[in-house]
Parts: sequence; C-alpha cells; structure tokens
Amino acid sequence: MKVIVIGGGLAGLLSIIKAAEAGAEVDAFSLVPFKRSHSICAQGGINAALNTKGENDSIQQHFEDTIVGGDFLANQTPVKGMVEAAPGLIYAFDRMGVMFNRTSEGFIDLRMFGGVKNRRTAFAGATTGQQLLYALDEQVRKWVAAGKVKEYIGWEFLSAVIDDEGLCRGITAQDLNSMEIHAFPADAVILATGGEGMIYGKSTNSVICTGSAAGAVYQQGVSFANGEFVQFHPTAMPGDDKLRLMSEASRGEGGRIWTYKDGKPWYFLEEWYPAYGNLVPRDIASRAIYKVCVEMGLGVDGKNQVYLDLTHKDPEFLEVRLGGIMEIYRNFYGEDPVKVPMKIFPAPHYFMGGMYVDSNHMTDIPGLFAAGECDYMYHGANRLGANSLLSASYSGYICGPNAIKYMKGMKKSAADVPQSVFDRELTRQKDIAESIYRMDGIENPYVIHEELGEVMITDVGVVRYEKSLMRGDNKLQELMERFKNIGIHDTGRWANEVVPFVRQLWNMLQLARVITLGAFNRKESRGSHYMPDYPERNDDQWLKTTKAYWTESGPRFEYEDVDVSLLKPRARKYD
Amino acid sequence: MGFITGNFLERKIHSFTGIIPIGVFLLEHLITNSFALKGPEYYNQKIEAFQQIPFLVPIEILLIAIPLAFHTILGLYYVYLSKNNVLHYKYFRNYMFYLQRITAIVTFLFVIYHAYTARIARAISGIEISYEFMNGILSQPLFFIIYLVGLLAAVFHFSNGIYTFAISWGITLGPRSQKILQNVCTALFLIMSGAGTVGLIALAG
Amino acid sequence: MLDYIHLKIKRQNGSRDFPRWEEFKVPYKPNMNVLSVLMEIRKKPVNANGEKTTPVVWDCSCLEEVCGACTMIINGNVRQACSALIDKMPQPITLEPLSKFPVVRDLKVDRELLFEHLKKVKAWVNIDGAFDLGPGPRVPERERRWMYEISRCMTCGCCYEACPNFNSRSSFIGPAPLAQVLRFNKHPIGAMTQEERMETIMGEGGITDCGNSQNCIEACPKNIPLTTAIAQLNRDTTIHGIKNWFRK
Repeated sequence: MKVIVIGGGLAGLLSIIKAAEAGAEVDAFSLVPFKRSHSICAQGGINAALNTKGENDSIQQHFEDTIVGGDFLANQTPVKGMVEAAPGLIYAFDRMGVMFNRTSEGFIDLRMFGGVKNRRTAFAGATTGQQLLYALDEQVRKWVAAGKVKEYIGWEFLSAVIDDEGLCRGITAQDLNSMEIHAFPADAVILATGGEGMIYGKSTNSVICTGSAAGAVYQQGVSFANGEFVQFHPTAMPGDDKLRLMSEASRGEGGRIWTYKDGKPWYFLEEWYPAYGNLVPRDIASRAIYKVCVEMGLGVDGKNQVYLDLTHKDPEFLEVRLGGIMEIYRNFYGEDPVKVPMKIFPAPHYFMGGMYVDSNHMTDIPGLFAAGECDYMYHGANRLGANSLLSASYSGYICGPNAIKYMKGMKKSAADVPQSVFDRELTRQKDIAESIYRMDGIENPYVIHEELGEVMITDVGVVRYEKSLMRGDNKLQELMERFKNIGIHDTGRWANEVVPFVRQLWNMLQLARVITLGAFNRKESRGSHYMPDYPERNDDQWLKTTKAYWTESGPRFEYEDVDVSLLKPRARKYD
Repeated sequence: MGFITGNFLERKIHSFTGIIPIGVFLLEHLITNSFALKGPEYYNQKIEAFQQIPFLVPIEILLIAIPLAFHTILGLYYVYLSKNNVLHYKYFRNYMFYLQRITAIVTFLFVIYHAYTARIARAISGIEISYEFMNGILSQPLFFIIYLVGLLAAVFHFSNGIYTFAISWGITLGPRSQKILQNVCTALFLIMSGAGTVGLIALAG
Repeated sequence: MLDYIHLKIKRQNGSRDFPRWEEFKVPYKPNMNVLSVLMEIRKKPVNANGEKTTPVVWDCSCLEEVCGACTMIINGNVRQACSALIDKMPQPITLEPLSKFPVVRDLKVDRELLFEHLKKVKAWVNIDGAFDLGPGPRVPERERRWMYEISRCMTCGCCYEACPNFNSRSSFIGPAPLAQVLRFNKHPIGAMTQEERMETIMGEGGITDCGNSQNCIEACPKNIPLTTAIAQLNRDTTIHGIKNWFRK
C-alpha cells in the first residue's frame, strides 16, 4: 500500500502521519523542506471549543460561528465534524510538544478572535502556525527515521497519472535541481498544496503558494469549487514584494483600528459595528477599511492605509502574546508597534475555494484526494480567523485514513497498472517541459506574472463590479495570448527556476479565470464576494456551491446545493 | 569512540587539566617569580626549597608533564579543527575564541623553549636554576621579550580558559552570570599579567 | 543618494563549477530588500555591463523571516535576504551562498544536513500516535516561555555558518540541534526519552565539540538562547556522565 502526499504544510504532514500510523508506505513530495511550508506564516492561533475560560463556550457555538461567518455557504455536516474534532486535535498537538501559551494554572490559554464572542483560540505567541508545523515536522521526521516515509524535497508535482478507467494511479514530478521528470506509482494521492496567493501577485502568502498543483489537476478534470471566494485579510503591512500579515490576534488582544477624521482619531469599526467592534469578521473589516481609504479618501497620510493600534497595551503582555508579529513589523518597517500604531491595509490572504472534494476529501478523480487550503470544504464564503489551522489539520487528519480506506477497497493496485499508463503521462509532461525550453519570444514570464497580479487586485479585489470583472477576464485572456510569446532567458538543465515558473504561471492563469468568471457569474454579495451591483445575499438563487470544470475555451460552471441540514440560513449581522 | 574523536570524556579531561593542574602550576610560577622582588637571595632560597620536595621527578611527570602533554596534544588538534572567521564575525567572544587558539600555539612554543632551557637542559647539564641563571637570560632584551610574550599568552589562555571552563562544565549558564565571570576573568588577566611582568623585571635585574 | 542599487553576486553553476562574480545595477526604489532586488533582476536579466545573463537562482519562501529559506551571506555576514533592507546597507552589496553547505546554483545551497542532524538527536516528542488521548501535561507558563523561545528555531543555518567549530574538518553537530535537545529533554513527555538524546550528544561530534566562541547567539536571527542551552546541556551531560559512571 503506497500513498503519495504532495505538500508539507499542516494538512500534508498530518496526512502523512495518519497514513503512516495506519501502516501505509508514504512518499512525501514537497517544494521546500517541510519546515519552510506556508503554514509557518499562520500567526494568531487555532480554534477549538475547549471552554477553559468559564464562558460556556461549546462545540455548537463554534459550529454556528463558523457557518454564520461563512455566510452559510459551507456544507454543514463536514463543518460539524471539524468543530467536534477540534479539542482532540489541540490535545494531540499539545502532546507533540507545541508550546501553547498557558494560563497561570498551566492549562492551554485561549484568546479572542474575529467573528466570535467567546475566547476559543489556542495560540503559541504570534507564531502558532509555525509551532504546529514544527511539531508535525518533528513527528514526520520520526517516521522518516523509521523508514516508513520517504521524502522527496525540492520536487514539484506536475500532474496526476490517470489510468484508462479514470482512476488516479500516481503522479509525475520534477526534481527542481536535476530537472529530471519521473512518474511515481501510488494507490492514492493526496494533494495538500495550499492556497494560490501568487495569483494576486502580492499577498500574505509565501512565494511557493502558486496553486499550480490545483491548476494542473483542474486541467485534468478535477472541478474547482467556490474559486470566487478570496479572503482579504484586513490587517497586512503594505510592501513592495509582499504584504506581510499582522495577525487578527492583535485585535483579539485589544488592538484598535482607526484613522483621522476631522483631525481626530476615528474608530470606524467600533462606530459601525458596536456589537463586535474591531473583531468583526475579516470580509467586513476589509470592506470597511477599503471604504474609508478608497471611497472616503481618509487613509492615513492620504495613502491606502489605516492604523492598527496596540500602543495602549502593556509592552510585556504584547511581547508574550504577539511577539512574532511585533518582530516582523520592527524588522521590516523599522518602527516599534509598542510605541507607534502600525500602518495596515487589506491584502489577499486565503482562498475559501479550492478543489471540489466529497466528504472523504476525494476529488472528482477517484484516488486523488485534496486536503487543506487547496480544498474548498470548511469555510463557505468567508473564513473565520484561526479556523484555517483547524481546517488544515482536520482535513489532513481525516484525509490520511480516508485514503487508506479507499485503497483497501480497490480492485487492483497501482502495481498492476500497465507501465504504458505511466509512460504516457511522463511523455506528456516531458513534452510540456521541452516546449517551455524552446520558448524564444519576447515576453518575460515574471513581468506577465506581475501584470496578472495587478489585474486580479484591481478587478477581482475587495469590491467587484460586474464591469471590472468582465474587463479583468479580458485582460487575463490577453495575458494568456502573450504567454505564448514568452522567451525564457535560462535554458540551463540544472536548477533552472524559469522553466518551472513558466509552467506554474500557466496554471495560475487558468485558476485566475476560474476566480474571475466565478465572481462574474455570482450575481449576489456573500461573505468575501462583494458586488455593489448586487449588494444583497440571494439565497433563493445563490445558496449554491460553484463548481468550475476546465474546457479548452475556458471554465464551464455548474452549481450544487449547499448542505444546510443543521442550521437554517439567517441574516448575517455583526452590528 | 577513541582518542582524538571529539569524545566526551577526553574533551572534559582536556578542559579540566587546563585548570588543574596546569593553571595551578602557572600560578605557582608567578608566585615563585615574584619572590625575586625580595632580592636574589630570597629567590634562591625559595627555589632551593622547591627542589627539596621529595619524589620531585615522579611528581613532575605525573602532575605536570603528562597533563600538560595531554592538554597540549589534544588542544593543538582542537585548534586545527576550528576555522576562524573573525574577519567576518567581529564579535567580542569570537575574538576571544581566536586569541585562545593563537595563545595556545604561542604558549605551546614558549613552554617547549622554557621547559627545555629551564628544566631539561638543566637535568642534562646539571646547572641549577637560580636568580643568576634567570638573570643571565632575562637581562638580554630579546629573551626578555620572548618571556614577556610567553607570559602574556599563557596568562591570557588561562584566564580566558576559566571563562570557557565555566561554560563547558555547566557552571555559568545564562548571559548574566557569563558576563560577570567575563569581568572577573579580565581582572584576573590584568592582575596576573601585571604580577608576572613585575616578576620578570625583577629577575631581569 | 544613488539612483541604482549596486549588487555583486557570486555565481556558480553547481558545487563543482568554478565561482565567478557578476555585478548588477538595479534602479533604486525606496523600501526594497535584497530579495525584491533579485526579483527585479529576474524581470530584466541584464548585468551591469549591459550583457544578457541568466536570472540569479536563490531560495526563498515566506519573505517575512520565519521560514529561513533565503539565508545567504550578505556583505560578508550570514542573514536572511528578505529582512536585509537596502536602505540600511552600504553599497555595493555582495551576495554569496552559504559557505558551509554544497552550492546547488548561485545563492541556492543544499542544507539537508541540518535536518539530518535533527534526526540524529531525535528532536521530537516520542508520542504513541497523533490521536486524541485527552489533554496533555500541564506546563507552567514560565517554563513554556523559554521552551517556546527555542522552538522558534527555523533551521536556517546561520548559527552553523558563523560557528568556527562547524566546518569540513570537524564532525560537530552544530548549535541548533543542541538547543532542540534541551527543549525536548525538558518537555514533560519528551523527558521520558532524554537518555537517548543525551547519549547522542555525548558521542562523536557532540556537545563537547563546542568551543564557546558564542558566535551562534550573535548570528541567530531569532535570538534563540543557544549559548544558555548549550551551557545547560553541559551541566546535564556532565551530571548524566558522572551518574552513569558510578552506576556501572
């Protein structure tokens, strides 16, 4: 029994661990050493209704907050499963040695987060993702040392190998040093390849978050669900190369958002949303900041930025609970948030959408699974803060065993599949690579990528007009034309970074259209998807999951009803 | 696990011998030298007293020669093992680390010279160490400088060695205690160098 | 103020290739860092002589100094390139790959060794399995704080690069894994297997190969208390060694 796992973030590593625990052999592929995966950038914490703060928190409340936060677009049964498993997951992490902040009694401490009324977020300073990732990395290292897991670090996933019956039988992947492409057979493949922030050029994501793997299998027949739901994190440091995240935890711990109006500080979130104040969900906070800066022209210093203020808090308190982000702000901006308010603006952050999966986390291609941010399952139209570490962990946690279950029920294993199936896909991938090597046009792929980002941020951003979406898609198609005229300025056969990037860029362009057209089609406003042309949520027509299928001429859309069996949709209110 | 492999025990012994007996022996030298301040006769008297210690040769071999050889041979190998980088990493402790290795080599060369002239040659030719003997050497400026350099190197190596000894044996753990010991070691270096130099001057006449 | 940024980059095609220096002049913009300059070169791969060249190859991922990928030698010192702000550095800026690891290409090196060393010291809590067994042990917040400090190590290799005792002649395991040993030895569950880790670091290339240059703590971008951890382990291993000796 062999499982291949792609990706070394939380979802990937927990898939590896759970598959290895179930006795499977695992081949683990990752672009970077697991410790450098993007889960590392998660800061604020992980939600679980541990109810250790005497606030009568409950799993039911966690469930409702998540569903309401997601504007009812998430399928409710899987979400229920996730929130039920959350406390157990935290305990498992705790035993692995995660240094969660503690109460004076030595219990796991909890803090406030957006879109909730109870303290529910376990955290390790302001580097919770890092700490969870490291703990899993350590556990996987144990399995590697035991010979049950084989690492392929610095390999890029290219495609799924699909046999004549339409089953996934393995993958093709490229060693990014030797540039060699190989096919690897497996009985099940788990994609845990994260989000696709690079489609927006600059985002809070790591540069490895291209969504290329999802884009590749989308072109092989996996449908991409809810692509149009892109979360903009309200508080990120503006920057030239990256928009660095300033955790929602800063508001959870008492941080206030303000700007000057009539020469006086104006706490607009507190004024507009008295019930939740600075802790409204991210889509709402982002829209408010966007409105204040772009529509009202009240950004600090006339720029697109407002203050995130922690200066009224005790410096030691800040160091213990938010040290990680304080350090980032100091290192990259040169000012101390203890003394001066931070300047922030919304930035593309998280993709609620992703590969369509069933309740077992299997995609449309049997044998091909998806877990973590690259699936679409748990957040509906907007994700609540600190639910992503939870969904990444939980989906990996159940995906590993689900893959094993699938393998046990298979009629024949990958070993019995004729070699020609693998050779066919291998040849196709080698041909693609060679065709990129031969590109000798005048366009620079990195310039096209930069323009892709500009299109997405301007036309498919926080606020989406029908007109801008149409314009965006036209520009995307132009970029796809220009893509064909790329000239690569490195034809080396050793550690060539241009050739893989060109391949990723094509996959990014494909998903960019899924996002843009998905948004254009959805004639309503829901969660992160805000269309002033259709400002209201429309449950009659649009309480539906978007499913995009790849065709030669662009994405084809289908819609599927949402599972609302546990909580009846109601108006979403935070004021 | 064997000799010269970075073995735990051998490193620990290396570290230990640097203080006991070698460091103690160094202190003894400085004290003896300072007797010269009270005049040649007093000095000669004290030296003679030392020569009267029973079983002197076995004691010298067991408590001095063997530990010294052990500390030296391993130490030189450790010097070889490190690649210094003070040009890039200009940190105080890095300079100290570098100087520890430089002074190791200087002290090594000096001790060979000194042990040969002041102990081995004597054993062969039968000349007794005395104020006059030392004065004959140290009154020559070149040899005075050689002795002075040897003295400073040995004293630095010893006082900085105390600082690292305290870490290697887990005595000073945190930055604060290490800082305090750093100051103590610096003071020790200054006092010992001063006392040693005064002794040398006295012997030089 | 210069209107361009002057870079000198040590380039090399594989570990056996002979390194050469190539210079670049990139138009100045405020608030750039070394990585964003390299990204500019990628968009227009032309060197200072106006000749077309291949884009520089380097490692990076998070761009916010938590992943450790973009570690390189900048103006002679090891650090992360993302947080190396152009406005705070003298020019020309020299970029070299880490010197103690095999070069893959240009500024990209192979740091697999770092992870091998973590494996060697069994840097993990040996739990029975990743399943729900109820709450873990209670931990005093004070204890947690210093363990957290150590657990922020991103395995970037700065301490290795700066350590004079880690080099091709020695088999020293390096500062970072030693700190991890301490952290896992003091964790309530990790402590149950502390003997194994202790024996490893008392073996060849172990803790006593540290020469107390204390460069590690200066070079560490995360200010991990490496020297305190090493001193503490010196104490622990000494006591462990003496106890074991008398037990035999």
